[in-house]
Amino acid sequence: MDEKGANIDLVFRNGLKDFEVLPPPEVWDNIHFVIKRKQRPFILLRTAALIAVVLSMSFLAYRWSREISTGLDSAVMALNEESASPEISPSVDKPLYVTAKKNSSLINFSKSLIENIPDKAIEPENEETTSPGEAYFQVTKSITMNKGKPLHGPLLASLNSSPGNTFNIKEPDQQYLPGNSITKSTDRWSIAAMASPTYYSSFNSGNDELSKQLMGSEQSLISYTGGVAFSYKINKRFSIQSGLYYSSLAQEVSGINSFAGFQKYDNTKGNHNFEVLTTNGTVYTNNADVFLIASGSGERILTNYNNDVFDPNKASLQYINNTLRQNFSYLELPIILRYKVVDKMIDLNLIGGVAYNMLVNNSVYTMVDGGKYSIGETEGLNLLTVSSSLGMGMEYSFSDKLSLNLEPTFRYYLNPFNGMTSSKIHPYSFGIFSGVSYKF
Amino acid sequence: MSEIKKIINGCLNGNRRDQELLYRRHAAKLYAICLQYSGNDDEARDILQDGFIKIFENLVHYKHEGSFEGWMRRITVNTALEKFRSRHNLYRVDDIDQIPEPDADPDNQDYAGLDAEDLLNIIRELPPKYRMVFNLFAIEGYSHNEISKMVNISEGTSKSNLSRARVILQRRVGSYTGIKKRISNG
Repeated sequence: MDEKGANIDLVFRNGLKDFEVLPPPEVWDNIHFVIKRKQRPFILLRTAALIAVVLSMSFLAYRWSREISTGLDSAVMALNEESASPEISPSVDKPLYVTAKKNSSLINFSKSLIENIPDKAIEPENEETTSPGEAYFQVTKSITMNKGKPLHGPLLASLNSSPGNTFNIKEPDQQYLPGNSITKSTDRWSIAAMASPTYYSSFNSGNDELSKQLMGSEQSLISYTGGVAFSYKINKRFSIQSGLYYSSLAQEVSGINSFAGFQKYDNTKGNHNFEVLTTNGTVYTNNADVFLIASGSGERILTNYNNDVFDPNKASLQYINNTLRQNFSYLELPIILRYKVVDKMIDLNLIGGVAYNMLVNNSVYTMVDGGKYSIGETEGLNLLTVSSSLGMGMEYSFSDKLSLNLEPTFRYYLNPFNGMTSSKIHPYSFGIFSGVSYKF
Repeated sequence: MSEIKKIINGCLNGNRRDQELLYRRHAAKLYAICLQYSGNDDEARDILQDGFIKIFENLVHYKHEGSFEGWMRRITVNTALEKFRSRHNLYRVDDIDQIPEPDADPDNQDYAGLDAEDLLNIIRELPPKYRMVFNLFAIEGYSHNEISKMVNISEGTSKSNLSRARVILQRRVGSYTGIKKRISNG
């Protein structure tokens, strides 16, 4: 019997080896939905990590920029203490250009800054002063002069009295201030308050009839976005920007009649009474007093209370409206790279980047007498979506510190708002951001 | 880096395309296994779905040692086993006394006419306990000792179930072969 059994075992083992059967297509959708939902905590952790990295980098960059300016001040102070202190009092802020021959390590430190000063601002006294080991310093705060008095004599004498130093001081009126180049480079940071009306819409890349039908009855509403942005100037052309925005997107779903006063007829406990299909997911009612019925043909509303079972007119329910409004609010964390194309009175910037959008509010309501009547909420919305943005920014400077910004921006959402639907709806938005920025 | 490693890394990074690629490459083979362990298509779909979710969740533990396909197969079989354990009390095992002995000597039977689909159908007609033990012993190669622990039965019951499963299978194979012969002879 064992041999016979082994024989039948072999028949099945060999016969079923490498056998394949294609599974039904919906299995993958179910699997993907589950693994995506389970990945969400990791996405949130990644986002938190990203925020932490951005903040850390910003802090380090801030400290670095502070150290440079402090370092320069200290270097100049050191110079003053060594050679010019008797003649210099620390109160006047008029800039004075000094050429110096100095065997000090701070010369190397300042070299990069010195390179930015145009040749006109510096007049070497002689060949000796231009030889390696010499440096030119812009002394702005630490070296002071009494206005109207010729300081060349005593100051120069004092400075030159130190061994190894040779200074040449130029008259302030002869100085060419080098386009604030050094001052400008220290204004690496800027903070801006921005706001924009936003037009939100979506397009359908699929061919299914249901999506087309649903899109046909949905209309975008003008929404808004606003927040605070801070940017760091990496160099003359590039700057990186982040911040925190609040955006509210809304759309109107037409063809859904809503009535109030249904609660006394509602015999069910707990669960929602109505489900409304939309391109962004299914709306579940959470207001037991509302009754919904589709005005046209089609099966947009799933309910046990269809027209055959319940007639809202016979029950004398109060008609509210024939449209629903879906609203999604997001907190946005953008990471934007800006490239300055034109550096004139009105700067032009190319703007591109991504934004992490965290869902903070999801509501569905209808309007009655100018007020909102709550219906429910959209199920299965992704808590986190990622959007890419591309835009052109115009920046008009009122002053060295203040500027007006205008940024038409197109946004494309890389993942759909709803993780449950397998529809091919791709949301996008367009907004014109405007605001004021302050450099520091 | 091999292609499968790239796909696995992509899956670990949450890349949907790689996840789908991994699924598409192996789903058909694993679904055949699921069908082999289940009495109906719904159950097979459940096993495949849960099995793949476990595969994605446990990819991080895969050490790239041994066959990746074998690793996935073990997860799928274990998922089938879990389903079986959870439904164990719901199944009624046919009384073996009512099952007639095979009408032909298996050694002399001609299995050549049976294809994989026939064999799958035959194996799915087995009562769940017999099917599980037969699959684990004859297809997966586990010993009765191992099966007794996996299915939570005694070794004796495992042997008995296997023996009964073989009897049923031999009978079914005989009848399938006979039917096929009759069809081919017109």
